Amino acid sequence: MSRGASRALSVALAAACLACVAPGTVRAQEPEAANAPADSHAAALGLTFEPLKFQPPQPAEHTLSNGVHVLQLEDRRLPLVSVYARFRGGFANFPRVYYAAATGLPGLVRGGGTLSLPPDSVEARLEHYAIRTSVGTGGETSFALMNALTRHLDIGLELFGAMLRSPRFDSARVEVWRGQELESVRRRMDDPGRLAFSEFNRLLFGDHPIGWEMEPADLEPEDLAHDRLEWLHRRVFCPDNLMLGVTGDVSWQEIEPLLERLVEGWEPCAEPLVRSPRPEIRTEPGVFVIPRPLEQSTVVMAHVADVRQGDTPDFFASRIGTSILGGGGLSSRLMARLRTERGYAYSTSALWTAPVSYPGLVGAITRTRADRTVAAARLMLETLEEMTEAPPTSDEVERTVDEVVNGFVFNFESPAQIVSRQMAYRAQRMPADWLERYLAGIQEVQPEDVQRVFREHVHPERMVILVVGNPERLDEPLSALGPVTVLHVPEPTAAQAER
Amino acid sequence: MMRPSGRPAPSATGRASQAVLLSALLVAALLAGPVSAWAQERPTPRGDALPVREITLENGMRFLVLPQRAVPTVAFVTQYSVGGVNEHPGNTGIAHLLEHLLFKGTSTIGTRAPEAELDWFRRIDLLYDSLLAARVDEVDPARTREMEARLRALEDSARTLVVPNEFDEIFTRNGARGLNAATTNESTLYYVELPANRAQLWFVLEAARMSDPVFREFYAERDVVLEERLTRVETSPGGLLYETHLAAAYQAHPYGQPVIGWRSDLETHRREDVAEYYRRYYGPKNAVVAIVGDVDPERVEEWIHRDFGPLPPGERPPPVLIEEPRQRGERRVEVRFDAEPAVLIGWHTVDVFHEDAPALVMLSALLSGGRTARLYRELVVEKRLATFVGVTLGPGERYPRLFTIQAYPRSPHTTAEVEEAVYAEIARLIEEGPDAAELERVRNQLEAGAVRRLETNFGLALQLAGSASLFGDWRTTFLLEERMAAVTAADIQRVARVYLTSENRTVATLVTTRPEAVEP
Repeated sequence: MSRGASRALSVALAAACLACVAPGTVRAQEPEAANAPADSHAAALGLTFEPLKFQPPQPAEHTLSNGVHVLQLEDRRLPLVSVYARFRGGFANFPRVYYAAATGLPGLVRGGGTLSLPPDSVEARLEHYAIRTSVGTGGETSFALMNALTRHLDIGLELFGAMLRSPRFDSARVEVWRGQELESVRRRMDDPGRLAFSEFNRLLFGDHPIGWEMEPADLEPEDLAHDRLEWLHRRVFCPDNLMLGVTGDVSWQEIEPLLERLVEGWEPCAEPLVRSPRPEIRTEPGVFVIPRPLEQSTVVMAHVADVRQGDTPDFFASRIGTSILGGGGLSSRLMARLRTERGYAYSTSALWTAPVSYPGLVGAITRTRADRTVAAARLMLETLEEMTEAPPTSDEVERTVDEVVNGFVFNFESPAQIVSRQMAYRAQRMPADWLERYLAGIQEVQPEDVQRVFREHVHPERMVILVVGNPERLDEPLSALGPVTVLHVPEPTAAQAER
Repeated sequence: MMRPSGRPAPSATGRASQAVLLSALLVAALLAGPVSAWAQERPTPRGDALPVREITLENGMRFLVLPQRAVPTVAFVTQYSVGGVNEHPGNTGIAHLLEHLLFKGTSTIGTRAPEAELDWFRRIDLLYDSLLAARVDEVDPARTREMEARLRALEDSARTLVVPNEFDEIFTRNGARGLNAATTNESTLYYVELPANRAQLWFVLEAARMSDPVFREFYAERDVVLEERLTRVETSPGGLLYETHLAAAYQAHPYGQPVIGWRSDLETHRREDVAEYYRRYYGPKNAVVAIVGDVDPERVEEWIHRDFGPLPPGERPPPVLIEEPRQRGERRVEVRFDAEPAVLIGWHTVDVFHEDAPALVMLSALLSGGRTARLYRELVVEKRLATFVGVTLGPGERYPRLFTIQAYPRSPHTTAEVEEAVYAEIARLIEEGPDAAELERVRNQLEAGAVRRLETNFGLALQLAGSASLFGDWRTTFLLEERMAAVTAADIQRVARVYLTSENRTVATLVTTRPEAVEP
């Protein structure tokens, strides 16, 4: 797609038809003089496509009598209904002393029974009616989902409501959860990927919820005392924090009374949530190793980069640049260098997080054979450096933009996707048309913008590099990358873990 | 019995049969549905009544086309009936390696100079053969290292002619999602989703890849697969235990071989052998394609004939005739690794066509299908011996497979305690049989599961292609729920008694080498 066509699209966005994609060939290219069995290259690139005609459905907005907002999108194709509940609040809103209880809270709301029914009865009913529910957390947010056949929607919502509003926190189930969590702590060394990411967060974020890692000391029985769980529950799972979503085989007229019943008489939150503190992210570079007797190393490297998510040229340039450097698929630079050309890695990718309220991280990750570890890390650093030294080619930028523009319709594949995205935008106080602004914003990005944002924010020499692997088996000593610190991740003994 | 009949797909080439059209009307009525009160009973939509158009080309290639108009996207799944079971010691991992190599392009995609590239391949492959010979003869290791370096240098020279990952790039810039592939014991799947207006691109690219693939960057890609093996197996305690368990349980049948391949086989695959394997077994005769989404079936049919019609049929892999001999006593294996303990207990059972197959699936659901399931209740909640327990049936479907229970003990409990509790639960089930309420729970979930499986284009495409590939009919897997719903409590007791015996089981345990974790 040419730049001109892309621009035309950004204007078209002002109109209602948000996903109408402009027509165009894949790209203009000189015809190849190949004479192979069939010139598939010319055939593929010679195709022209009609514009995609599509009017993405918009969720309807409603407010329940207690002020809870509901986004709803009807979809009659199958006799299924989903109800989503999104609450502000999660473990990151509470001090470390609450870490275990706040981490366990979603699972115990889901599986700890309700005031009127013990856990076994809740589970038996859910399974009898083939109702699916789940409750989870993402740090400062908690989510719950209920999915049922339309004919069981009322019983599904009744159980869902009882779970969210009046959980029992059955003591035996709390003890099961505590034991599972202790076992998970014992097993954290078993998966090098998981170990690398959690230790990297701890290294960079320190004593901040993002850096916390569960320890046996967090998991004493009193840490999961019943009154502590209830105290947290009254501060998270309460209507002031709540937003609802509904998709599927039900109209608003049909579901409204059921949702009113769900929230009727629900006590307001005990007190407003305290936001988690701004993290103080480590800025000092360094090379760290967690010794593990493995033939493949996990390499994570990153440093602080302060580009915030928002409608700014830097943000959009950082997105395009990250995708060129190491987005999904095989075409990124890191994939081309580490995987396709050198065969060093099965997977490698770039990361650049851009939170709204604090700085993010930029860097790269891979896993590679022990005796190629330092070579792979160098190649990653070089590939990052190149992004700062020269702008990407205009073809690289266009290709990345084309992927998003041409595949825009995949943002609207299911009502669930549409409603949960809008719920997330609202919860994060982002504009409802953020996706469309994003689509327009990335189409303005020029190769020079990508280089500028990388030159300003990406500094390979400032990387914190963590290797999980066997220092004895590497191609070169890690000190070739900088002064090395050996991290001794505490391995809990059987006695500790069982405390 | 549901053995594949071997006959061609039922409908005439290029025309939907009368029966299919009738079902189409029925389903359209069901899916459109009147705007009625939610509580009003409506018939549950049936997957086997979906308006699938079947097209079989003269070269044997089968297509299943299902229009789904809600969103303008379309999912494509190409399934070849060739996978791990078609391999033997010495060439294991070849189907999976081909899964990677089929993203390397064609004679015109991914290259700047196809003719010159072939010259480089010849030089590289000659050197590689010398290298293999040198390894066998155990000549001076310095010399083999030098040859390896030369090989890499030659591949680097050939790479100057490569347009890297162009096949992937053409799809991607057209907005494709989920471009990927997977290899199983019995098949290899290639899949992608496209915006509906760009559907035609798939026909051009998939037909080109099928008929004219070029396995460039061969040796570097083999290294990529070795890295994948390191991640999935050699540094993963779960992966190692799984591989060891299968190898112990199967002494003769290729289900005992890893789909990703043994390391030494991966280190010795030659480009020419892989290409020859491809030419034989990856033709239209051995392929099924499912296309689900917002497509016009008439145009799709036109593209099918134009792009795939002229391709030579290829052949089917030789039938796998080897049978696993009856197991005559418990087998036990250990993996010692720096990780926490785990256990796998597998019993030989039957293939998916066998009349006992539905009862075994029901048995697995009763034992581990949810939070009320027997093993979860007993081991995780009541006795707190384990943090996880699950049942799988595998590693494939077409040949007699294992009923496998996997569990992670909860410290300080041991794998031995977990095993004992598992056997006690099985004995109790055989003795008492399942009660009516738990059977009904499982049946109700099967019914709801059948509806949920209709939710996505991609999920439907996978199922259509899988069913047609395995059973010869896309409808069959939709009907499995009915077969399972007909299973009685007595059937479940019987299959547990017949198959889950001590002499028929293989137990693999992960034994930790961590000094700290040794029990006091």
